[in-house]
Amino acid sequence: MMSSQQFLYAVFGMAAVMVVFKVVPLLFFKKKIKNKFLNSFLAYIPYAVLTSMTFPEIFRSTSSVFSATIGTIVAIAIAYCGQSLIVVILSSSAVVFIVEQIMRMLAN
Amino acid sequence: MGEVSTDKKKGYMHGFKDGIPIGLGYIPVSMACGIAAAKAGLSFGMSEIMSILMYTGSGQAAALNLFVGGETAIIMYVITLFVMNCRYMLFSMSIAQKFDKSMGTLQRIGFGLLNTDEVFGMAMKEKGLLGFPYLLGLGTAPYIGFVLGNTIGACFTNLLPAAITSALGIMLPAMFISIIVPSAKESKPVLIVVLIALVLSFVLECIPFIKENLTSGWTIIICAIVTSLIGAIAFPVEEMGESTDDE
Repeated sequence: MMSSQQFLYAVFGMAAVMVVFKVVPLLFFKKKIKNKFLNSFLAYIPYAVLTSMTFPEIFRSTSSVFSATIGTIVAIAIAYCGQSLIVVILSSSAVVFIVEQIMRMLAN
Repeated sequence: MGEVSTDKKKGYMHGFKDGIPIGLGYIPVSMACGIAAAKAGLSFGMSEIMSILMYTGSGQAAALNLFVGGETAIIMYVITLFVMNCRYMLFSMSIAQKFDKSMGTLQRIGFGLLNTDEVFGMAMKEKGLLGFPYLLGLGTAPYIGFVLGNTIGACFTNLLPAAITSALGIMLPAMFISIIVPSAKESKPVLIVVLIALVLSFVLECIPFIKENLTSGWTIIICAIVTSLIGAIAFPVEEMGESTDDE
């Protein structure tokens, strides 16, 4: 486990990376990338990163795998129907809450 | 003079209104971040510093993952953020072509700091050239929502019943789903890339050697690079992002 101070240094390092990626390209790259392969690679990066961050982590994100699975299915279904970010996260979270309450009642 | 400043104000207000739904959406997400930070054992001050300096929900989630996983090498945190933020290079390149003359160096820096996936998406939906007042307005509410949500989350973690924190825990991954699914629905190559990443991520998790020797940061990096290489080889992209060929 790293100390708080070490973590603070890590945060500074990460913040610097954010600035480099968010600001520097705006200042210097004013032309389009011509390399098709690099373009394609960079185009898929966000989806690949988000997917590998989401799965299988999402199944451990609540207090039971069962409620998390139902929440995941609801999130995918609602996002598929074209609902906005806020609707997706609130309804998935609400379903997890309800499922866990039902599970608790059944357990008693 | 007077007319110019009303124009600026109008542009700012227009942007601010467009940013409100994004800002509201960030509150629960960054609340989840604040809660996760408190659960990981970070102090209130540390979690505030992190949310103010690191304006990225997914980046914070990844950093906390590493922290909880016992990662001690600072370079691993930096590399993870590096890989996760490659996309901003692309965002920046496509949005810079829509900037109008008001976007000098300082304005570009200012917008860059406020840029996020959702702000980028909203700005690219806007027709015509983008001016600094609009972009500054657009970036305001999301940033406030992000820092505010984190503060609420970090403050009230211990006051919230376990059932609520459990339900809030799914918000962050659910946000990622709400970004992934619409794109995967629209584009078959993206869908295939997502499915490959999904399977690979589970497989990497199941291999004991990898699970014991690599932190989650590495598995994310390996998974992202391998999957995107497969995607780039199998489905080369003709044009990046929304078309901006108006020259």
